Amino acid sequence: MKNAVAGLGLAPDAAMVTFPMDMFLPGSDLGPLKARRREFYHGLTRWKSDFAQAEAGASAMLAVEGATYGEALTRANNLLLTNLWGDGLPLWPATRERADWILQGAALPRTHVIGKFPPRGGVTTVETCAVALAMAGGRPEYLPVLIAAVEACLDPATFFDQLQATSGGPFPVVIVSGPIAKEIRVNSGFGCLGPDPQRPAGASIGRALRLLQQNLGGALPGTGTMAIYGAMRYTNVVLAEDEDALPGGWPPHATERHGFAPGTNSVSVFFASGVTNIRRRGAKKETPEEDVRNGLWRMADFMRTPNLAALAGWEHGTPGMMMIPPVVAQTMAELGWTKHSVREFLWENSKIPMELLRRAGAPAWIEIDANPVTRDSIKLDPWPISATPGNIVFIVAGGSHPTHAHWLQAHSPRVTGRVVRVPETFDRLLADADRDLGCGAGACRI
Amino acid sequence: MVRLEFHDPSGALEVTQPHAPRLASFEGRRVGFVSNEQWQAYRMLPILKDMLEADFPGIEVLPVDAFPQGNALIGSEETAALVKKSRVDAVVVGNAA
Repeated sequence: MKNAVAGLGLAPDAAMVTFPMDMFLPGSDLGPLKARRREFYHGLTRWKSDFAQAEAGASAMLAVEGATYGEALTRANNLLLTNLWGDGLPLWPATRERADWILQGAALPRTHVIGKFPPRGGVTTVETCAVALAMAGGRPEYLPVLIAAVEACLDPATFFDQLQATSGGPFPVVIVSGPIAKEIRVNSGFGCLGPDPQRPAGASIGRALRLLQQNLGGALPGTGTMAIYGAMRYTNVVLAEDEDALPGGWPPHATERHGFAPGTNSVSVFFASGVTNIRRRGAKKETPEEDVRNGLWRMADFMRTPNLAALAGWEHGTPGMMMIPPVVAQTMAELGWTKHSVREFLWENSKIPMELLRRAGAPAWIEIDANPVTRDSIKLDPWPISATPGNIVFIVAGGSHPTHAHWLQAHSPRVTGRVVRVPETFDRLLADADRDLGCGAGACRI
Repeated sequence: MVRLEFHDPSGALEVTQPHAPRLASFEGRRVGFVSNEQWQAYRMLPILKDMLEADFPGIEVLPVDAFPQGNALIGSEETAALVKKSRVDAVVVGNAA
């Protein structure tokens, strides 16, 4: 509630009368409502805000002391946790030195305001992004991707305020495109959803984004975000499409979805609420044609479920992202499949018969959707999980191994793209990374 | 002693508008409801209407469905215009998610 009013630009100390969840369930005892009527009347008449602009202005510096550096570091982490600014894993306190180091990756002034992080409305600047990235163990060359991802999240069309607060717990998925993905070590291969010590950028960038969601956006479990389960959001998802492995004629995701020219450094952000493995490869004897077609059916069959996860993105967003490994993409391409035709197959064959929707009580959710186009889709039988095949995000990523595909079910009103801007000194930052981390853009030890 | 100074990561808040002014009393006032119909609003708001009418003589509380209801309608300019036109002194907004 405090987040909601602060995010609207009101003082955050709203008049409140709070009750346990039970009272809001069907058939509940509403006696407590009557018993506490005077509190309602007070809130509606005599209540006044006590907020005195104390939180306005530039972010403050905090300080701790310890007999040793280790003790001071422990106390800093304790202070961050007790102020509800941590995630339970060790943090690097964003000292001036560390934040300034990260800011070497900024193409914009440190005071540049990107927006307000909903629902709480914390003012989001280049500096606050650098502070979060410093805490998350990041490096300067990661900052341009983090800032582009934050810009995408804060685009009003993304409906990020709702995504932050909703009980479904959607988390950002950031697809990095262009040469910057390899340059800063974002993984597109084996274990691309992490962790990967040779390609650690996605973990830090995603963790920094998560810290911003919590510390500026107020997404604290059970209050700022009603995410019932939380969905493994420590690092969100930051990965790259394996653009080098795309078969001829298969355009990169950023070109298909956002119209960015191939080779453009960019991010594409949507929101997922789960990740599922699909055993795509067959067993025993089968031809390449059977392998591809059976695998596609298994994917479509999985997508054809009346859990309404995709409703939020039905018209403009996405029902989810299907990921297939490069070796499978190559086989598909050799048999004449394209990204377009794969998407058409998945869309056509994941339509849900209205009878199954009715059995699950699903039509009521379609009927009350805020989007009239989505409401109107109730007339379709079978019901497609999105307005068009183009809504489905389909990328080539993962280890070059044919057995599995991955489906990231979405809760995403939009898929938002942003170009990544890097500072003039970016090459020096990459050279520093090679010096510090070794191996360069390609992995060299595994 | 080692001292560590570091940035507060919570960012600044900017207050750009005041809360709605409160009525001194409900007596003799006209009050309306705007609801998105979630979380038992259909049971709770009538109770609130009854309580207000019982506790504040002279208050006029409009029916719960006097204005359009539901997520798709309560935030629209058309609904805001209807509320203004009704000349209510206050509106209780039931907006749950």
